Amino acid sequence: MPSATLLGQALISGVLAGGMYGLLAMGLSLSWGLLRLVNLSHFALAFLSAYIVYELGTKYGVAPWWSAAMVVPLMFAVGASQYWLFDRFRVNELASLLITFSFAVIVEAGIQIYWTADYRRFETHYATESIKAGPFFIPVLDLTMCIVASVLAWGTWMWLRKTYVGKGLRAAAEDADIAAAYGVDHRKLAYILSGIGAAYAGIAGTFIALIATLAPAQIWAWLGVVFAVVIIGRLGNPMGALLAGMLIGASESLAMAVLSPAWAPVVSFSVLIVILLWDPEWL
Amino acid sequence: MTDLLVVTGLRAGYGRAVVLSDISFRLGAGEAMAVLGRNGVGKTTLVDSIVGVTRRFDGSLVLEGRELAPLAPEQRAALGLGWVPQERNIFRSLTVEENLTAVARPGPWTLDRLYGFFPRLKERRANSGGALSGGEQQMLAIARALATNPKLLLLDEPTEGLAPIIVEELLSALARLVRSEGLAALIVEQHAHKILPITRSTLILERGRIVHQGPSDELLAEPARLEKFLGVSAR
Repeated sequence: MPSATLLGQALISGVLAGGMYGLLAMGLSLSWGLLRLVNLSHFALAFLSAYIVYELGTKYGVAPWWSAAMVVPLMFAVGASQYWLFDRFRVNELASLLITFSFAVIVEAGIQIYWTADYRRFETHYATESIKAGPFFIPVLDLTMCIVASVLAWGTWMWLRKTYVGKGLRAAAEDADIAAAYGVDHRKLAYILSGIGAAYAGIAGTFIALIATLAPAQIWAWLGVVFAVVIIGRLGNPMGALLAGMLIGASESLAMAVLSPAWAPVVSFSVLIVILLWDPEWL
Repeated sequence: MTDLLVVTGLRAGYGRAVVLSDISFRLGAGEAMAVLGRNGVGKTTLVDSIVGVTRRFDGSLVLEGRELAPLAPEQRAALGLGWVPQERNIFRSLTVEENLTAVARPGPWTLDRLYGFFPRLKERRANSGGALSGGEQQMLAIARALATNPKLLLLDEPTEGLAPIIVEELLSALARLVRSEGLAALIVEQHAHKILPITRSTLILERGRIVHQGPSDELLAEPARLEKFLGVSAR
């Protein structure tokens, strides 16, 4: 059995790593839950953003925060354009999965063509900074990411509950025809939401560039676990996505510390199955 | 009396099926009109056609001089149609208050005024729509339509499936709306005796066509005539 310090450190690292799952899950969850579009290209957009941040940083010396200021609005525009396509061709839930999968494969190929399949790493001084809290080390970058993810999750959650746009989106997700008959212009709201979801991919991508090693095939690395997080956190619920991300991150990290790294996916997907069986109304 | 809604030669239905034919009538500003008829004669189709969720084959619908025919449901709603559908269709995952504020438009019907009108909704403001009883859901459906500050309220069988005591409560609320508030309304009802005293005029449908139009009090005074059109349901 590992020591208490090791377990504590594993828990902290797991929760912080889970923040990334949550951040990636948020945009996916919003689009799936409120627009009934399963947007697999979310992962591709996050990695495309990461590569752009990497490119701007390594070639032109642009600070990642300035790169984010460019990438995030760009992704918003990409997300809104995607919705234009979905709306124009009346894409349903299943078709959206296939179309966005194809889109992701194309983006992956594009990344491979431009940046090659080599591993890339954006070295910054942020990556090595950490705070010491008692016997534990807390990486500053991961902590910043979790704070950003929490602010976004809470802000989005409030936005969905308090604003006309947010409530209209929730009403339309439940019954689009009835909402329309009460004057809720679902399509207009959907453009905004689709843009926001993709903008979150841009924010996630910025942190991916700083934290992870980049390779085109990495687009798919988090697919399974983030899907589990989206479903555990309830579709369309940003706070749920973040908390589920942290839960899965922590359980994976503890499994790795106590058993071995091979156990991580067993734990996260067992949690998914247990939660689905326990309360299927969540879907 | 100025006309609020003028329907001329309306032919409408669903898919390829024509349900309504040759429907023409006028509804004045502040007028409450009852739409009566047996089951399946097209009463709901008439309301749905005004809202814009049916297929229109011919005819025109003019609200305050604006032709509604080419407009989508959300555009019609913005012009002042407040719909209370037969199935109520409240947003079950939203709270009572969110149901009201999600669709609210500026006007005299503020949240406070709606709660004043339906105190029970105020008590249950934080509950989700799905947690309400049938009667409460109907009140919410009416309040939600009022929250859009409509010029014309369209009610489709508002008392259907509700306990008698709730029906009385709803009818008195409706009477206040159309009499004291002077709100124009088109009210579809199965039970003539409940709605005739509240409304000024009546439209009776039979197999998708209008077979009678006239003041409600005249019909109320002639039970035999009412019986002829509606059979047992008139009682």
